[in-house]
Amino acid sequence: MFRPLGKASAVWAVLALLASACGNSPSSDGAAPAADTAASDAAATATTAPVAPEPDAEPEPAETPDSSEATEETEPAAEPSEEAGATEPEATDTAESEADEAATDTAEPEEPAVEEPVDPYPQRHEFVALYGVPGVTDDEIQVAVIGTNANNPLGTCVLDCFVTGIQSYFDYVNDSGGVYGRRLVVGELLDDELIANTDRALKVIADDDTLAVFLAGLLPHGLGDLHEARIPTFVWNIDGTQSVNRDTIFTNFVIGCTTCTSRGLPWLVREAGGSRVAFLGYGVSANSQSCTRAFADSVELYSAELGIEAVYLNDTLAYGLPNGVGPEVTQMIDAGVDFVISCMDLNAMLTLAQELERQGARDQITMLHPNSYNAQFVADAGPLFDGDHVLVQFVGFEYDVDSDLRDAYHQWVSAHGGPVAEQTMVGWINADLFLTGLLEAGPSFDRPSIIGSLNQITYGADGLINPIDWSRQHNAVVEGVPDYDYEQECVSYVRMEGGGFVGFQPAPWMCWPNDSLEWSEPTPTDFSG
Amino acid sequence: MTGAAGFFEDLFRGLLQGTPPGSVYALIALGFVLTYKTSGVFNLAFGAQAYMSAAMYFKAHTLWGWPKWAALAVSVFVLAPVVGLLLERLIFRHLRTASSVSKLVVAIGLSVALPELFNRAARFTAVSGRRISGIVPDGASVYYDPFGVYRFNRDELAMMAVALVGTLLLGALFRFTMLGLAMRAVVESPRMTELSGIDADRVSAFAWALSSTFAGMAGVLIAPRFNSLSSGDFFTLVVIAMAAAATGKLVSLPRALVGGLCLGWFVAEFNTFLPGWSDDHGWLKPFQENLTPSLPFVLLFGILVLWRAIGRERETSDPLAGVAPPPPALAAQHRHPKLTLFTRVFGAVFLTAVGLVVWFRADVLWMHLVTTAVIMSVIYLSVTVITGMAGQISLCQGAFGAIGGFMVFQMADRFDMSVLAAAVLGAAAAAAVGAVLSLPVLRLGGVWLAIATLAFAFFFDAVIVKFSWVGGGPTALLTGTRVPRPLLGPIDFAGDRAFLVLAVIVLAAVSAAVIQLREGTLGRTLMALRGSEVAAASIGISAARARIVAFAVSAAIAGVGGALLSMHQQNVNYSANFGPVNALFWLVIVVALGARTVEGAIQAGAAFALFEPLILQGELFAWILRGEDHLPGLFPISGSWRVVLFGLMAMQFARHPEGLIEYGKRRVEARIHRRLPAREGAAA
Repeated sequence: MFRPLGKASAVWAVLALLASACGNSPSSDGAAPAADTAASDAAATATTAPVAPEPDAEPEPAETPDSSEATEETEPAAEPSEEAGATEPEATDTAESEADEAATDTAEPEEPAVEEPVDPYPQRHEFVALYGVPGVTDDEIQVAVIGTNANNPLGTCVLDCFVTGIQSYFDYVNDSGGVYGRRLVVGELLDDELIANTDRALKVIADDDTLAVFLAGLLPHGLGDLHEARIPTFVWNIDGTQSVNRDTIFTNFVIGCTTCTSRGLPWLVREAGGSRVAFLGYGVSANSQSCTRAFADSVELYSAELGIEAVYLNDTLAYGLPNGVGPEVTQMIDAGVDFVISCMDLNAMLTLAQELERQGARDQITMLHPNSYNAQFVADAGPLFDGDHVLVQFVGFEYDVDSDLRDAYHQWVSAHGGPVAEQTMVGWINADLFLTGLLEAGPSFDRPSIIGSLNQITYGADGLINPIDWSRQHNAVVEGVPDYDYEQECVSYVRMEGGGFVGFQPAPWMCWPNDSLEWSEPTPTDFSG
Repeated sequence: MTGAAGFFEDLFRGLLQGTPPGSVYALIALGFVLTYKTSGVFNLAFGAQAYMSAAMYFKAHTLWGWPKWAALAVSVFVLAPVVGLLLERLIFRHLRTASSVSKLVVAIGLSVALPELFNRAARFTAVSGRRISGIVPDGASVYYDPFGVYRFNRDELAMMAVALVGTLLLGALFRFTMLGLAMRAVVESPRMTELSGIDADRVSAFAWALSSTFAGMAGVLIAPRFNSLSSGDFFTLVVIAMAAAATGKLVSLPRALVGGLCLGWFVAEFNTFLPGWSDDHGWLKPFQENLTPSLPFVLLFGILVLWRAIGRERETSDPLAGVAPPPPALAAQHRHPKLTLFTRVFGAVFLTAVGLVVWFRADVLWMHLVTTAVIMSVIYLSVTVITGMAGQISLCQGAFGAIGGFMVFQMADRFDMSVLAAAVLGAAAAAAVGAVLSLPVLRLGGVWLAIATLAFAFFFDAVIVKFSWVGGGPTALLTGTRVPRPLLGPIDFAGDRAFLVLAVIVLAAVSAAVIQLREGTLGRTLMALRGSEVAAASIGISAARARIVAFAVSAAIAGVGGALLSMHQQNVNYSANFGPVNALFWLVIVVALGARTVEGAIQAGAAFALFEPLILQGELFAWILRGEDHLPGLFPISGSWRVVLFGLMAMQFARHPEGLIEYGKRRVEARIHRRLPAREGAAA
């Protein structure tokens, strides 16, 4: 019936010839090598808060560029030498108290020995003229920010809050003289409109006028291109898996394994008085399913030691819960569930809480929210979430820590008019990580030296995150093998009360050694100070 | 409690729990039936209309603080009927005698364009956790427990009441009033209706205003179920509710109501019992895990395929409905020789110039965009085959593309196979899936075929992609679905320029194959089937065989394109590239520009990849004005306008199924034809 295309045998012969010559290019990102793990073992926890006095006057934040605009105009930097002169550190409280003590103990008062804190980066204001470094002029160091604003189905503040954190940090640094005689500037601000991440990443690569990229996209595409272009890239922890095998990608929380167990979850269940645990996740999202099963495995692994058990698992829920969760909640109640661990977005958690309330079980069942560290969202919900817990990827704002970086965050983000929120903190920490790379690289910095120097250090954001050893942690993690994992497994939870959050842990972090999967009681830990 | 008593209590509770979502589906299904009965349109844009009213209500009441009655009046009784009247006056009045497929394409265009248009015009964005307040006071917080088993809140009761009362009132309207009779008559034959002294335009306008108001009311009633308002959620609900509308064959209001409720009950009972049963019986586990998220789509597909009555349902009583006039000849087929020469020379010069500029001047971004345009052209040729040639609407081309992409990922990842060889395998696999899929849906045709393919696309999205042997599973979560670039002997296509050359070669090969098919027996067979299936059968043409081949070829082309796209991006990027909603936009952009020709597909590919950066981002104007500094302040324009523009352009499909560019070419050439003889005569 159908006319043959003709000369079929010749076509087949050509195809066979081509097939014999086919292969895959070794230079593709698909075969990207793992991070160079031969970096120095002598890694030290890096803190980079500029050695600057408390600004007496209210800081004057630079204007955040509008998402639709590409370039920000900024005032030229102040003279580095003047700024350097204004950055003499004050004596610390500890040194003062020690001095007071010494004065009372001895008959002949001696001159108190004020210990000057050693600036780990004494060259931070040293200007070196640089040529051919993208995004660097004599006055400015320019970065690009990519993230999701339009078409965000969750309705959460992503790009705007992320860039507020970055911009606030840059203002903070610039206020104390910038770095290497230059101001830090957010140049291009690109809204990926949910799916255009790759295009935006390539635009940054093509323009080649930024030193580094910050990325907070709901979808993680485009990072492969940025990696191939060897641009240092700092990403939101939702894309925390993207730093695996990519030594140019840095994040505030590394996800080296999506199926590994955690001791933090069963510990929380016990602390919250739960014993029968349910797990909920979306069926359409492989990410959500994997997360749900890893959480369930965690509880099952330590069920004997902690007297808790996994009694209900449903990782097949429809995204957005269009059918509600009535039958699922009924089954959980029937199964005697008293604790729910979820791998769903915050809107779904609200739906779940409302269904629990409808079925009269809200008071009996506590929940762990993975993504609800959002003060406005929780305040709008009123008392509905009271008693629930939220997992935070940095030290929750509710915990007191001796961190200059966080003090500065509160001061500068507020001055910038931004919310004290997860996404601004993520932007802030990522910006600090970028500055760390700059300072580690020295005054003659460029992209490779930033990447190389970051990959030799352990970064802890002045105690705000579980320290990441970037010399090891670009590698995938195997369950129970500590080689490429965090040195300690640490968790930080906050509790929801009265439409807000409160800290309840004895310390900001509860940590376990990562050299064994054996159950042990956690060590209250504070990485700050 | 005894086991039996417990079972029945669970059963009863499941029914109660399924009633609110069932009422949602019923409301949407009623809207489908209402629109179809009064306009003959399978209104896929129902969700978009509902979304607009819901968002307007949310904005007015929650954000602006208006009282509920005022917000309700503006969103449901002003905005919704105005939208309905505009749609009728500007679009559907001119489509009364168009085929149902043409109307469906228009509705798809609207479903894509309207939400974005509203969002842009009203500056509306989803707001996390800000649940819309229902129309009754304390709707979400006051509960009633009529049976002591499950509590309903006031919002849900209001929704159920409206669904029930709506069925009764609309049923009465159609059965007992002259207006209802007139509305149905206008759908059947507007000219015959006017001969009876009825103003068909006015009746049609009223019908659209009524159905749009119903959509608006449904949107406001449904919205409290969402904790953030997103048009995507409404579209998903519409797809789910199609199963309920199908049970009423789009004409029965009571069946739509019962269908919607049954759907809600079935899903609730399924979720009540299957998890427990699968714990006891391991063999049920895979069904529970995979069927639960896809149940509505499986039900929709099952109803369409297994219920024989749907395939037999005639869409209209017009005796000539089964006969489509032959489409107008392509402009190139009756072009003046001088014009043909000029066109060819101009085309060659233009393409050469573009090629040289790209080769020598394009940076990494433009190289990426041009390569994307070339690859999307390959994918769009699959739409040319299935829609342009076969006249069928397939809404699962994204799934076929994904099959190609995942095949190269899996083969390269697991077996280190050449991605070029894997692309051939991917095309073969897509063709096989396309052929198998076409078997059960063959008899459907028209609108139902499109809906069945949409159900398959959502099923693929919900189930198939999650399998580790398809989407990669946990490993892919960590490292992505990475795909290397190909190597052919000494030629390494890792470089962007080399890969662009490969993409152009593939496009040329696929274009040649499509032209060969169009000019060959298959193309003529499909053209005959488009004209009249009965007449084609009378001369021995097998519609089944031709359609299976068309589906398979179309799927294979999409598979090749999907494989190429994955190699280009070095990652399958399923959600950004191949999701069900993406494929809707593919159809929209191709039919808007030209579904019948290879040029149309290439123009659609170029528009997909280059329209936003060139036009909306202002690159072209910046080049003309010699620098971005001279651009007017309105640039850059949001990429969402691309969706709006092409969505609205797709509305021209009913009047110009050859696409706007082909239509424009024909008009220009007709004008030239009129002038050329005159000039030649004057010269003589």
